[in-house]
Amino acid sequence: MVGKLVDLITSLKLTIVCLAAAMALIFAGTLAQVHLGIHEAQQRYFQSWLVWWPPEGNGLRIPVFPGGHFIGAVLLINLIAAHLKRFRWTWKKFGIHLTHAGLIIMLAGGLFTDLFAVESHMRLERGDTKNYSEDQQHMELAVIDTTGNDLDQVTAIPESVLRKNRTIDHWSLPFRLVVRNYYQNSRLKMLGEAGSAAKPIANQGPGAMIAVEPLPRTTAQDERDVPAAAIEVLPKDGGSLGTWLVSDALGAPQTFSCGGRTWKIAMRTARYYKPYSVTLQKFTHEKYAGTEIPKNFASKVTLIDPERNVNRDVLIYMNHPLRYRGETFYQAGFQQDDRATILQIVHNPSFLAPYIACIIVAAGLLWQFGYHLIGFARQRRRATP
Amino acid sequence: MRRILFFLTTVALFAGCEKNSDIKVYRVSKAPLEEPGPDQQTAMPANAPSPSMPGGMGTAVSAPAAPAPANWQPQPLSQMRQASFLVKGDNGAVADISFVSLGASAGNVLENVNRWLSQIGQPPITDEKLNQIAQHLTTSMGDVTVVDLVGLPSGADPAKDGRIIAGMTSAGGSTLFFKIRGNAELTESQKSEFIKWVAAVCNAQGGSKAPQTASAMPSTDMGANPQIKWQTPPGWSEVPPSSMRYASFNAGANDSKVDVSVVTFPGEGGSDADNVNRWRQQIGLPPMTPAALATQVEPLKTDAGSFSIVDIAGPNARTVAAWTRRDGHVWFFKATGPSASVEKEKTNFVKFIQSIRF
Repeated sequence: MVGKLVDLITSLKLTIVCLAAAMALIFAGTLAQVHLGIHEAQQRYFQSWLVWWPPEGNGLRIPVFPGGHFIGAVLLINLIAAHLKRFRWTWKKFGIHLTHAGLIIMLAGGLFTDLFAVESHMRLERGDTKNYSEDQQHMELAVIDTTGNDLDQVTAIPESVLRKNRTIDHWSLPFRLVVRNYYQNSRLKMLGEAGSAAKPIANQGPGAMIAVEPLPRTTAQDERDVPAAAIEVLPKDGGSLGTWLVSDALGAPQTFSCGGRTWKIAMRTARYYKPYSVTLQKFTHEKYAGTEIPKNFASKVTLIDPERNVNRDVLIYMNHPLRYRGETFYQAGFQQDDRATILQIVHNPSFLAPYIACIIVAAGLLWQFGYHLIGFARQRRRATP
Repeated sequence: MRRILFFLTTVALFAGCEKNSDIKVYRVSKAPLEEPGPDQQTAMPANAPSPSMPGGMGTAVSAPAAPAPANWQPQPLSQMRQASFLVKGDNGAVADISFVSLGASAGNVLENVNRWLSQIGQPPITDEKLNQIAQHLTTSMGDVTVVDLVGLPSGADPAKDGRIIAGMTSAGGSTLFFKIRGNAELTESQKSEFIKWVAAVCNAQGGSKAPQTASAMPSTDMGANPQIKWQTPPGWSEVPPSSMRYASFNAGANDSKVDVSVVTFPGEGGSDADNVNRWRQQIGLPPMTPAALATQVEPLKTDAGSFSIVDIAGPNARTVAAWTRRDGHVWFFKATGPSASVEKEKTNFVKFIQSIRF
């Protein structure tokens, strides 16, 4: 039994099946982007263990194909296992070992990137200074203790936690948060505009005068969901501070008091704070003369890092990102008649993996072909009378 | 086989991870972020002492009631700094002088000394060693621990780095930090002036009722001592202001009193729409679009200049607020309370605004 399993895991047939499945998945995932948008298609086809049908909605979900994680993981295991089983140290096979090692690093790097890389954006108008970036694809419920004189303490609860948990009981909060209603996408309307049947889902703050209309999840690339939730605040020593509507569409945070402290609560895009700040000095959007065709986008920013005594100007433009403290700032877009720039910030601990993998694969192939070439050359020399 | 199982387990563990699924707790400063001048041209080296920033950051402010030596050039204040100076020597030598005030939990002396040592590429020291090198300066605020540290981080420019002389003291819930960092010789030549200045700042602080609390009121900028006068309307009683307020009044009867606040910040203080929406939210009103808000804001001309005034009523409370921007500061005047009480006090509030003189 064990022997058969080892044979299966290390078989070349499994490799071929995985590669064929990966090709089919990429084809299907690429077509799916037309209707789902790139983010949703990536999540359903490539960043999942199984591809489900029908995708969502009617309760019945049938797995129809292995997802990207599944195929990648099997391929990685197959490659490593086959390598370990067949490994024989000879100079003749050194190139093949190197090539396979490079492929393993590339696959593992892809998995690590998928698991640990964080992408976010920073939108800056001219003169704006920010020390945080925002992840437009993920929301968070920020519960902020504003009592301190110098610092605000932020408890950031990811949207995924709100979606899955009915009650949130965290050590940093003197109260429990009970999720009474949750909408992954919604539209807010004033009660007066929403019709006589509409009722608020909250009884505190502006939410008491607002109706929430649930909407299907958006799949358009230039839109995003507007989640909303009704959160009841229950002090741990008893009682209730009422139910609050939280939504990205509400704007300003709402304030309440509990445990002798002042709290603010707001649903917002997930934030990643940094120990440095970035100020946009100038955004340049050059076009080819007489056309609207973009020629170059560039953002001149000032980077200030009090911890490291850094204060310098940096020009970020196409193919010239700023790399600082393990993060890479790319010029990603612009808004509002060129008044604002959008920088994409990528934190990817394994960003070197593809480069290293390519160098190792190239070295392995060079070695392998070179070894044989020299072998052939020697044979010909010997054969020559 | 074991090796294969190990890899299987590892991959399964990674697969179990989900990004963005943990509740995070962190602290962020209330202080506004340091902003450089709008068109700064000079790129600073990575380990230059404090940046020199041309213009754009308001007026330079010295530490309260403590004159600095004439050759110390005041610098724009940054995120943490209450006072900032640059002193220049020969051959491009510079040293940066700063005064920072933080809350009580700003670390002990050893932690801070070791932090400064790491900034100049030196290994940390022990308490015993600290006792040997630390000097104490007696001021009316209490003892200031002073250390003189030498070291040049790798790759640093010796014209701009190489020595730190720093002082630290804690009093009244605040921890004050004084630091001069820069070229070793220049820093040495400024040592006596620096020590005198530290003593003067501490004596001035010790003599005042309320020690500075740095980022607690970063934007009230009391050091700049903005001048304003007004006539308090009859029936209003002045009460001690909180840390963010310049002044506070109570108006009306105790059971339905109106809270009147005066707050000032350097700079623009945010957009009018943001501010009015914040006040609306405070009294339970939903935010409005800037265009809709613009119709609710009215101008108010007085002898002191032009103010904007807005009157917003929520289900249980009402706010009348006025604001003006002047000499790099924004001033907010706000009366909040039960609707009927605010209605009664509105005339007094307008008179109060009209009595203001800068």
